[in-house]
Amino acid sequence: MLQPKDPAQKIELYLKQVRSGLRNLPEPQVADILQELRSHILERAQSDGTLSDAATDAALQSLGRPQEVASLYVAENFMARAESSRTPWMVLRGVFLWAMLSLKGFLVFAVCLIGYAFGASFFIAALAKPFNPQAVGLWVSDQNSFSLMLGMTDSPRHGHELLGWFLIPIGCSLGGGTILLTTHFGLWCIRRFRRARATLGLGGAGD
Amino acid sequence: MIANRIETPASPSTPMDKWEVQLRKGCLELAILASLWPGRLYGLEILRLLEQDSDLVITEGTVYPLLSRLKAEGLLDSEWVEADAGHPRKYYRLTPAGRRRVAAMGRIWSRFSASLNQLLSRVLKEEK
Repeated sequence: MLQPKDPAQKIELYLKQVRSGLRNLPEPQVADILQELRSHILERAQSDGTLSDAATDAALQSLGRPQEVASLYVAENFMARAESSRTPWMVLRGVFLWAMLSLKGFLVFAVCLIGYAFGASFFIAALAKPFNPQAVGLWVSDQNSFSLMLGMTDSPRHGHELLGWFLIPIGCSLGGGTILLTTHFGLWCIRRFRRARATLGLGGAGD
Repeated sequence: MIANRIETPASPSTPMDKWEVQLRKGCLELAILASLWPGRLYGLEILRLLEQDSDLVITEGTVYPLLSRLKAEGLLDSEWVEADAGHPRKYYRLTPAGRRRVAAMGRIWSRFSASLNQLLSRVLKEEK
């Protein structure tokens, strides 16, 4: 790709790269962000109304890599929404974004995904129990190996069911508790991550 | 260049460096909110004020996402103002919730630092 020579072109290329990293945000917010960054760059680089090449380079360098700036905006935005909504879906979306930025984020995403899947399976089993009481349950194997199976089975020939109708209250409370705990865990991690990301300029430690 | 003035380790390697970075991180939000206490400022003014009045300066590209988050949390308001410079500037100001937050944070900080200074005065005196 040709390197732009003109300072104005350099600024536009920088902003274009920031824009490409802001794909997940609504367009009015993206336009506002780019306008603010443009204003900042012009403020730093302009002298007597003219843009010098060296001052433009210095202004862009001071801002940092465009992908990094964009990822900070995206992370702050989604994580602020996750914290304010506190719904499992928004927490998962926030953590997913983090997962794309670091290995630690990926591990937290995996834990949250497993937590929500575990909680949801208890809920679904509790809800399905009245519709098919013979097949839905927590099954334990009668054979040598000890194994538990939660859910629906067509032929529970080698096992017996443990909970009976208690599956409904136990499934609801275990499912709800697991989902609640996972949400709190996700939000706690998000808050720690945000504190670390917000101050990368101070040295980048923490994540 | 603003971000280079501060003697913060670029990549903290020793436990002391890491401790210093963590300490600064904890104060950043308070510093930004406090810089807006007297009135509205735009991003570059906030950076310059932090450079001038505190030992806390963040990389320029970091301050804007942070301001955006503080606004999303309802602690700041913003408005675009046409300027003589030829391009508009986005000014930030504290909301009533932001003023309450920074006052509460300031009280905690003041109490905490006073008691820690008292504790440290003996250490620093004996070290001399």
